[in-house]
Amino acid sequence: MEVKVEGGDEFANASYAKICDDVFRDIGLRSNIDRVYMYCNPGEHVFIISVKIGRAPSPVKVWDVTMREGDTLRITDEKYAAKLLALMWDKYGERVQQISRLVIGLELKEEEIAKLSDLIVYDPREDLNSRILDGIDRILPEGARVRYPIPSAKGITIIASENPIAEEWKEKAKRAIRDVASREGGEW
Amino acid sequence: MYKIMMFTGGVYKFHELKEIIGDIGGFVLQEMVMQTETMMHLAFPEEEERRIRDKVKELGGKLKDLPLAGAEIMIVVPSLGKHHAVYPMCDIAEFLRRKGAITNMMGLARGVGKRIAQMTVQEKAIIEECDAAVFVLGDFKECIEEKVPKLCEPLEVPYMIVGGPPDIDLPHYVGGVGRRTRRMNRKADLDKLEEMTYAFQTVLGEKIKEIEEDPLAASPLFIKEMIEMTLPPKAGEEFPVVIHLDGLRVKIEEEDAGKLGEVEVGKRKLSEISEIKKSFYEGYLVRIQTEAETGGIF
Repeated sequence: MEVKVEGGDEFANASYAKICDDVFRDIGLRSNIDRVYMYCNPGEHVFIISVKIGRAPSPVKVWDVTMREGDTLRITDEKYAAKLLALMWDKYGERVQQISRLVIGLELKEEEIAKLSDLIVYDPREDLNSRILDGIDRILPEGARVRYPIPSAKGITIIASENPIAEEWKEKAKRAIRDVASREGGEW
Repeated sequence: MYKIMMFTGGVYKFHELKEIIGDIGGFVLQEMVMQTETMMHLAFPEEEERRIRDKVKELGGKLKDLPLAGAEIMIVVPSLGKHHAVYPMCDIAEFLRRKGAITNMMGLARGVGKRIAQMTVQEKAIIEECDAAVFVLGDFKECIEEKVPKLCEPLEVPYMIVGGPPDIDLPHYVGGVGRRTRRMNRKADLDKLEEMTYAFQTVLGEKIKEIEEDPLAASPLFIKEMIEMTLPPKAGEEFPVVIHLDGLRVKIEEEDAGKLGEVEVGKRKLSEISEIKKSFYEGYLVRIQTEAETGGIF
């Protein structure tokens, strides 16, 4: 993930670059974001943040988080236990039972068990956008509550301010993103 | 004037130290015995420091100066959201505590932003109950310059501002902190916190000097002892009496509040030599009047 912050003074730029880095690491999205560009204008209290989304992680399937032990499944990654159980109860009802914390008992036919590999426990793409928005919310100054989103093909740009956002700034933001995109090469 | 220091050491003969403190007219402010280790905050007349040092040396303990002891400080941040808490506000509070201060933390209801930042009358009153305030602000010079006249300058207590940009021309400003996402535990961060506490000592020093020039009717330390003799702390109550530079915060139940004014201090009653009012925040505030106003207590 590349981070670029412009517009503020030297200290503020360095500090916000670190905040962007730390926040996206904290919410576990550092590898899914290609670039973050932030423009700060504290004088007029306008902040623009633009995130280019990279490759989304592949979906988590049943065999990624469990191990088969005869007629039971042992959960290897407890983080997904609740989602996995909900999914399997939904599909097979009472034929699936939670025997202990990490063990699931199955009363399924062999062909049904074979089909388990197609079941998706969790698709990170589902909530990728909301997680990115949460990250952006943590980065932007708290006082900048008026927001204006500019969606694009591969990412999202948000203008934030404590004042109503003028057309001028919307134009400026779009131009800034285009500039960055052409400088860096490729689509934004 | 009393000097406040922290003693750490073993329990061996440590009651002798307490006896000496009693003999020279000092006080034990806080005492904690953890199996064979003890920690004590002591207050004693400045001129008797040699005697205490000699005794501590004899006992093999350590004595540490607490320059901010006897002050209650409010750490103020624009909000309690994740943008301003936990870092760096807790690091700052922790460092002030290590220097002996009692700290409170406060997030303003509408302190965020630049133009929209404001402080309510009640918030201002709560901050002014403390001896001094530390404002922890963010990274932008423009924002700090606009917020300080609105939030800090109306205050009647000394204040310090901790912010990001290193070069802002404001009184009592310490830069180089700003917004943080990590604990301040690196060497450079610790040096910055040291610098900040040092700057804070000068801020507080002004108020201490003011009080020394026009001395109080009785020392808050002495009044604390008198209050504790009359109204012993109930089970589960910790630090029921907090010392301020010019008074005390007494955390007592409402039914005991009437007895507070009756506490005898020398030949006078507490209500005669001080103003007692209910705090907006916690307990009752006792502001001791000056000796010039009340006359001697003996």
